[in-house]
Amino acid sequence: MSEVLERGAPGGVRTAGRVNAPRRALVDPAFDGTPRRVNRQPVALVREEWRVVDRWWTEEPVSRRYFDVVLEGGQNEVVYRDEEGGGWFTQRGA
Amino acid sequence: MFVIGCIVIPGFELRAALRERPGLLLRPAALAPAPGAEPLLGPVTAVAEEKGVRPGMRMGEALATCPALVLVEQDPAAAEREWEGILRRLEDNGFAVEPAGPGCVLFETLGVERLYGGVEPALKRALAAVGSVWDPRAGAAERRFAALAAASVARAGQVTIVSDRGTDEFLAPLPLDLLPLEPGMQEELQELGVRRLGELAELPGPAVAERLGREGHDAWGLAHGGKRRRVRGRRPPSEIVEALEFPEAVGNEFTLRRALAVLLERALGRPERAGRFVRKLALSARLVGGGSWRRTLTLREPAAELDRLRVALTPRLTELPAPVFELRLELVELTEEAGRQLELVRPAGGELQGRLKEGLRQVRASTGGGAVCTVVEVAPWSRIPESRALFVPRDE
Repeated sequence: MSEVLERGAPGGVRTAGRVNAPRRALVDPAFDGTPRRVNRQPVALVREEWRVVDRWWTEEPVSRRYFDVVLEGGQNEVVYRDEEGGGWFTQRGA
Repeated sequence: MFVIGCIVIPGFELRAALRERPGLLLRPAALAPAPGAEPLLGPVTAVAEEKGVRPGMRMGEALATCPALVLVEQDPAAAEREWEGILRRLEDNGFAVEPAGPGCVLFETLGVERLYGGVEPALKRALAAVGSVWDPRAGAAERRFAALAAASVARAGQVTIVSDRGTDEFLAPLPLDLLPLEPGMQEELQELGVRRLGELAELPGPAVAERLGREGHDAWGLAHGGKRRRVRGRRPPSEIVEALEFPEAVGNEFTLRRALAVLLERALGRPERAGRFVRKLALSARLVGGGSWRRTLTLREPAAELDRLRVALTPRLTELPAPVFELRLELVELTEEAGRQLELVRPAGGELQGRLKEGLRQVRASTGGGAVCTVVEVAPWSRIPESRALFVPRDE
């Protein structure tokens, strides 16, 4: 919800925000690229792994390697590595 | 006797489209035809005119004449916005304006002559109110058409005043294209050897009516200076505008419909409306690729019910020529009266809806504006999770 910007209340222009926007994550990967720690918590299990390659015909192509992981604390997280821009992100709704 | 003033801005739509890119005014450029319309050029810059490009020329012919010609996409929303700004500046200076199309406005000077010290100073004041960036020209006469003709022949920033006695003499050498005639009729007159207003005015009126019909006879009347008609100042439009920007271009009709519903809800909820009913609305959009789109709608009878307005406006969304970055709704004209009994019994679900709204108002009161949003699905089939739905802020 923090992405919803407002200008010129009560009327004027407002900006719609994205639902499930990715957030930066601190991930420590293993040699094969799978996450070992997510936001300083060790990964207990990698449940699933998949790739999303899309919009390759545009100037903003998307290439992501997703992991659905269970952390040692019992939390479920979906993280991905952005293979275009680099960096790790967590994302809900994936 | 009252004097009618006229301000003309040649090529107004092109100038408005070039407000963001003023450098193009110094290059050969022309306003491109609207999508789907006949490929005829709109107004052109002075540089393009020097290279042989004329307004109304076929696009292929123009590009063959001047290969460096830049085609500027139409921006009707920007033109409307700029034009409204000009009219308001004139109104702020005391002129009761009657717009005669984008780039041409009429007003009577009677009410402001004493304020500014005469007709000419009043017209100079009007030119200053428009702003020199638009290269406006002013004319004045006792009849509308003569005032328009005077403004059309004046140079940028100059005033031409025509006395009623000298009207015929003034109009006689002017070209026929000042008359509001179909191109076919202009050509017919030219073929008959009539090239100037004076030549048309010399012909016998009944003969012109017989040959060219009613339109021709009206043009003949204008060539004599036209009828004496007073100028009726417009009622300034309302200022209720709501807009919604999207993080990326949206072409999905479902999303646009939802966005329109949110805009309607917010516009109707604005306190400035003060319970008045909507008579005329305008829906505009900023398109992907830089252009814009605008449609106005006058309702058969004034309304303030969300559903009725939504039903009236939604079909317009199918006319959008491209995905949009911003959707904007304006309540252009409101009624004077606020009291009208429309529903005796609230429809089913009305009470629940009312309570929900009250609850949301409470949340807003404690957390501030923008805290209450609706989730609108944009592309639920997308493989990219953040592209599937949007948060749309709502006030009501």
